[in-house]
Amino acid sequence: MVRFKSRYLLCEVCVPERNSLQLLDERAIHHTLRAAVNRAHGDYGSALFNIGVNVKYLNALTGVVFIRCRKAHYRLIWSALPFITHLEDRGQTQNVQCFFNCIHVGGTIKTSQKFLAQYNRQQLHRMLLDCNTDAEKQHVRRALLSCSVGNVKREEADDEEGSDDDDE
Amino acid sequence: MSVFMDLNIVNSHDKNKLTSIIETAAHLGYSTVAINYVIEPQKKKQEIPKPHSVSDIFEKFPMVQGKSTPIKVLNRLTIVASDASHFRPTNDYKLFDLVAVYPKTEKLFHAACMTFDVDIICIAVGERQPFHFKRAPVNGAIDRGVFFDISYTAAIRDSSMRRYTIANATCLMEVCKGKNIIISSGAEKSLEMRGPYDIANLGLVFGLSEGDAKAAVSTNCRSVLLHGETRATASGVVYTMKKPHTLEEQIEDKPASKKAKTETA
Repeated sequence: MVRFKSRYLLCEVCVPERNSLQLLDERAIHHTLRAAVNRAHGDYGSALFNIGVNVKYLNALTGVVFIRCRKAHYRLIWSALPFITHLEDRGQTQNVQCFFNCIHVGGTIKTSQKFLAQYNRQQLHRMLLDCNTDAEKQHVRRALLSCSVGNVKREEADDEEGSDDDDE
Repeated sequence: MSVFMDLNIVNSHDKNKLTSIIETAAHLGYSTVAINYVIEPQKKKQEIPKPHSVSDIFEKFPMVQGKSTPIKVLNRLTIVASDASHFRPTNDYKLFDLVAVYPKTEKLFHAACMTFDVDIICIAVGERQPFHFKRAPVNGAIDRGVFFDISYTAAIRDSSMRRYTIANATCLMEVCKGKNIIISSGAEKSLEMRGPYDIANLGLVFGLSEGDAKAAVSTNCRSVLLHGETRATASGVVYTMKKPHTLEEQIEDKPASKKAKTETA
């Protein structure tokens, strides 16, 4: 028995103002992706998009998205990502300017999650450089010590619950 | 993990814009960026701009993502040439780390590939390439170590531009077979930058193979930098530089004659 192989694209949504990240939701991302793939690859792309592409996880605080694709054609989906310039949502009138930056491609969601934890830790290290006061530094240091994969898992579970609540 | 470079960031007089673009580049993981000064000589007798000193832009350069080194900023000059007289190698060119030429006619393209002392040849992205790429000049350019530059910002902005970019890039790939290509941004806003892995994947759309596409954002760019260095030096072997002043204290115990020389210098 052979399982379906997938690829998980771990993407970061970069926006000019961090506040607008709160507006993200999975449906908007999915719709934006669909439109971008359709624009770049036409009907063929849309057909491949309809099978197997879904948004697995979204963290609206850091703007991180997991996109799952079939392994056979993840490059086709990926090549449409650079052409995204704003989020498209049918309901919303305002367009959020953004771009997608792919930071990791993983074979399982587990490895991608591990990478994400490591990546977020790296971001905290980068923040440490920009700190001006000692209090800020202490705060970041405490955050650094508190993050491990176990903790992250719990936090992510909390986050998902939170986002589900928002949807309802 | 290799070192990524983006050798085309359009210069703007707005310093905040430039800083935000460079900060975004550092965040995305580019280790080196080049600020591009474009001149079009046909308008009038245009002066070649003096490049701003890169240390003016930042007091402290932002750290590169995933590295512990600050980002490196270079200067690049692009000459839009529609006549052979537009490219005059003068000393002004030597102030820039990289020199690029954007030939508008087939004759100039041939000359740029075979004779011009440049590092980069740009190809059209916003319009149909007005001539076919011939094998002889392209091979000549590859032999001389001159690179072809495709900028992707036009493709992001507009759907028709995207068609032109992909068409022109594919035409070029047919001739050069994926060798000596660099892909750069040409960004005017920070939102027009894209991550290096995305661009390596975008290279597949332009007709590059997987390895060539990755080389187009990393190792080929390094070759361009080294080529730029050889242009400023005597065949890349000998070069001159001003002696830094801090050395004077260190050579106090040297013979008197040498010491006297350094003081007069």
